[in-house]
Amino acid sequence: MEEAAKKGRVTPLASLFPVEEAHKAVRRVHETLSEKEAELDQFRGFISDNTNLINLVQKLPEGLHHNIMVPFGKAAFFPGRLIHTNEFLVLLGEGYHVERTSKQTVAILKRRGKALESQVESLKATMQDLKAEASFFGITASEAAEGLVEIREDYVEENFTERESQSGPPKEHPPSFSEADKVKVAVEDEEYSRMMSRLDELEKAELEAEYGNERHEDIGNVAVSDEEYARMMSRLDELEKEEHEAEFFNERDEDNAKLAVNDEEYARMIARLDEIEKKPETERDNERDEDEKIKANFDRSSDQTSLDKINRFSESRKLLEQTKDKKSATEETLSKRDTRKDLTDQLNCTGLTVQSRPEEMSHGKGLVQSIMKSTSLEKALVLPEVKENVQAASSSRSEVSRNSVPTNPGGAQALGKEWSFPQVDLGLLPRIQNRDLIVARLLQVPL
Amino acid sequence: MASPAALRELQRELETKADDLNKIQKDISKNHQVRKKYTIQLGENELVLKELDLLSEDANVYKLIGPVLVKQDLAEANANVRKRIEYMSAELKRLDATLQDLEDKQNSKRDAVLKVQQRIQSRQAGKAKA
Repeated sequence: MEEAAKKGRVTPLASLFPVEEAHKAVRRVHETLSEKEAELDQFRGFISDNTNLINLVQKLPEGLHHNIMVPFGKAAFFPGRLIHTNEFLVLLGEGYHVERTSKQTVAILKRRGKALESQVESLKATMQDLKAEASFFGITASEAAEGLVEIREDYVEENFTERESQSGPPKEHPPSFSEADKVKVAVEDEEYSRMMSRLDELEKAELEAEYGNERHEDIGNVAVSDEEYARMMSRLDELEKEEHEAEFFNERDEDNAKLAVNDEEYARMIARLDEIEKKPETERDNERDEDEKIKANFDRSSDQTSLDKINRFSESRKLLEQTKDKKSATEETLSKRDTRKDLTDQLNCTGLTVQSRPEEMSHGKGLVQSIMKSTSLEKALVLPEVKENVQAASSSRSEVSRNSVPTNPGGAQALGKEWSFPQVDLGLLPRIQNRDLIVARLLQVPL
Repeated sequence: MASPAALRELQRELETKADDLNKIQKDISKNHQVRKKYTIQLGENELVLKELDLLSEDANVYKLIGPVLVKQDLAEANANVRKRIEYMSAELKRLDATLQDLEDKQNSKRDAVLKVQQRIQSRQAGKAKA
């Protein structure tokens, strides 16, 4: 343990994510969020206009003609008559009008309404993602402000028998959920892949060995020369034990099991050591079969986890910190690997959808223009007046879109670049790396 | 030593490179705007095409050309809208390629700027030590 302590590097979280910048990021996300809310309100206005229009169009054919006050210029009306009450010239877009009856017009308007509503839904989804980001940044900012530190350690290969002496007290670092995570993950990326390949090789060796009743040799391997194999073996045995021990684990999440297990893991490890030596041959056979199941468990656990389980990870990391058990850490990283892949996938998804939103937005604006134009046609086509309104509205709308462009291209650009961050073969990503990228993107800082 | 002159030279180089970078960034944002406009129009045209397809043969289609509402043939209108859609997709593709180009140039310029900055810094550090 002392060796590991010597090689550790302590980095205050505040230096990686300066508190101010984190706050700025939060504020920026809030601004974008409020922009989106304004757009949402606009959409809702469009939808209500559309509904009103549908009602009007349905009501008009009820009479052969209607006596109305016809708008004349900017500030005058004269009494007139609305005739041909079932004939509507509907603006389809791009200057194309088509003569339709009341029913047909209503059909067109309903289709437009559906399109608007789908846009509203997508906008709401974007807003949700933004809110999640905002909360994430809030957490980062508060963590940085509290003075949490990141500790990176080089991974030191430990002798199997020495683990007993390493149950020492946690180091003098301030408690932090991210520590153990970075410690284990940053250090064990390569080790993990190495271990997995070793595991495969050694499994085969085991199989052959067992059939020839060479269990003693295996135990010899475990106890003495092959440290890696021994570690992996005992860890796998641990996981098997979890399976063996409780059928009721099947009902709970795999993670819960792992968490509950972490507490006693260390003690069990020792017990396991003894067990290995005493185990009969047949049980070893079962173990081999169980290895497959364990891998399936990893996949299962990754399926079950989600963004919400970040908290659970924090807890597990805390436990890791206490036991100082690197084996358990590798187990955690194995499960985290898959979950972080989910995280990145989810983040990927959000990134992609944010990119496509701006384009959909413009659809809605075009539609509104056409709706406003068609209402003018009903009022006996006083085009100049309405056109002024439409133009004023469209100029303000284009301003809105222009304003949103600067924020998006940068984001879209950065998205295009940074979501292909270099992944370890097996997708092991420390949580902090995601943060790096998200913060960097929003702070417009080149990584 | 010719170091102060070299330093000034480096700084001038930095300025010119930074200007180039700014220009490229402006080009990129302009490109984005034009792209946006085209995308909007493309979307609108696609909507129009959808509605036109739903029309029966004898429906009257009019086109607003300035202050004049001109009666158009349905087939003609369909053809026109389709052609516009094709044209706009081609334009968008072209703009995409240009955008990619500009982005690459921007990256290389940025690297160059950074390099010059580093040289300046090392120069200054050297001078400070000396």
